[in-house]
Amino acid sequence: MKLRIGGLTKAFGDLTVLENIDLAVAGGEFVSLVGPSGCGKTTLLRIVAGLEASDRGEIQIDGRRVTRPGIDRGFVFQADALLPWRTVLGNALIGLEVNGARGAEARSRTQALLRLVGLAGFEAYYPRQLSGGMRQRVNLARALAVDPEVLLMDEPFSALDAQTREIMQTELTRIWSSGSKTVLFITHQIDEAVYLSDRVVVLSRRPGRISEIVPVTLARPRALSIKRSAEFTACVERIWRLIEDDVRRSVLDEFA
Amino acid sequence: MLWELVGRFVVKNALFLATPSQTALALAKLWNEGALQHHSWVSAQEFLLGFVLAVVLGIPIGLVTASWRRPAAMLNPWIAGLYATPVIALAPLFILWFGIGIWSKVAVVASLVLFPVIINTDAGVRNADRQLIEAVRSFGATKLQLFTKVSLPAALPFILAGLRLGVGRGLIGVVVGELFGARAGLGFMITQAAEVFNMPQLFAGVVVLAAAGIVLTAAFQALERHLVPWNFE
Repeated sequence: MKLRIGGLTKAFGDLTVLENIDLAVAGGEFVSLVGPSGCGKTTLLRIVAGLEASDRGEIQIDGRRVTRPGIDRGFVFQADALLPWRTVLGNALIGLEVNGARGAEARSRTQALLRLVGLAGFEAYYPRQLSGGMRQRVNLARALAVDPEVLLMDEPFSALDAQTREIMQTELTRIWSSGSKTVLFITHQIDEAVYLSDRVVVLSRRPGRISEIVPVTLARPRALSIKRSAEFTACVERIWRLIEDDVRRSVLDEFA
Repeated sequence: MLWELVGRFVVKNALFLATPSQTALALAKLWNEGALQHHSWVSAQEFLLGFVLAVVLGIPIGLVTASWRRPAAMLNPWIAGLYATPVIALAPLFILWFGIGIWSKVAVVASLVLFPVIINTDAGVRNADRQLIEAVRSFGATKLQLFTKVSLPAALPFILAGLRLGVGRGLIGVVVGELFGARAGLGFMITQAAEVFNMPQLFAGVVVLAAAGIVLTAAFQALERHLVPWNFE
C-alpha cells in the first residue's frame, strides 16, 4: 500500500472532527473523499499533508510514518494560493527551490510540466494576469513539480465555472494516467468524484467517520460523455443516497 | 495664473504674498549668488542622512516586532507612544544635544521617519496571507524560508509605502529642525526671509521644498514599480 491512514482521530477542543479513520490507498490509485460540509475532509487531507497534527492514529507512506510536510506529498489547495510576486514559472519552482534544487535541470523539468498542464508560453506571466482556470493549472503544476508520490487535492476545481471544471477534470485524468501518482481528492461534487476516481470514500457527518467506500467500475479511459451513461448515474445516485440525510442536516444546521 | 493674478490685483501688499514672477526672480537671484545651491545642499544632506538612518533602523525593528512576540510586547507601546508624540516638540532638545550643525537636524528627520517605517514594515510582514504561507510550508519549508520567500516579499509594498510616507515627514523635519537653530539650509533661509519680510525669498524656499517633495515621491513610485512589478503589470 502506498498510503495508509490508521486509526486517525482529531478533535478541535470539544469538537471531534475525525474519528477512527482507516484507509489504505494503493500506488497509482485515484481515491476521492466526499461528505457533507463539516465532516472533516479538509482536516483529514491536511493531516496527511503534515500541515496539522492528529490526536491519535498515524499516516504511513510506503510503510514510513510521516508527521511533517515533505515532498513525497504534493498539496493542491482549494484557493490557488499562488505567490503574487512570482511568475508562473517561479511559482511552479517554489517547491524545488525550498528543497535546494534550483539548477537548470529543475527549470527544464518544470517547464515541461507547465507544457503538460497547458501553460506553455505563460511562464513569465504573473498570477493576476491569468484566469481562474489557468491559476489552478499553475497550482497543480506547482504540486507536481516536486514529483510527489501522493497528490493531495482539496476541492481544487470548486472555484471554477462548470465548463472550465469539466475541462480540468479531463486534463487531470490525462495527467494522472500519464504518470503513476496516487491521488487523494476532496470534492463536494459527487459526479466529479465518480468521474475521476477508482474508489469514492463517503464520510459521515460530525464526527467524520468512513460510512462506506464505493468502488467505481467504469472503464478507463473515460470520455466526458460517460457522465450521461446509466452506470455513471447509478453510481452517483448510490453515493448521494448515502450522504443525503447528512447533507440535509448540515444545511439545516447552518441556517439554525 | 490664479496665484499671479491674486498677487497682482487682490493682495497688492508685497508683505503678505509674492507673485510667481517675483518668486521666480528671487529663485534666479539666489541661484546666481550661490545661496540656493548652498542651502539646498545642506538640507539635502540632513534629509538623506536622517532618512537613511531611519530606514536602516526602522526596517529591521519592524521585521523583529512582526516576527517575535517578546520584542513586540516590549517595543510596541514605545513605538505607539513615540509615533503619536509630536517629535517636533523635541527639536529644541535635539539642538541642545547635537549642536547647531547638521546632526541635530539629522536626528529630527530620523525620529520623524523612523516610526512610519517601523509600523509599515511590521504591518506588512503580519499581512502575509496565511494560505500562501501554508502553501509553501506544504513543501517542507523552514521558518527562515517562509520568512524570506513569503513574509518578506509580501511586506515589500507596505515597506515602500512607509518610505513614501516618510518623505513628507522627513521634509517637515528638515524645515522645523532648521527653524530652531541652524546656520544654513532651506528652513534657515525661509526663517531669515520671514524675519525681514522678504516674501519672494520665502516663497522661493517653499517652492524648492515642494519640488523636492514631488521629485522624491515620484522617485519612490518609480522604485515601487521596479521592485513590485506584480502589483502593476
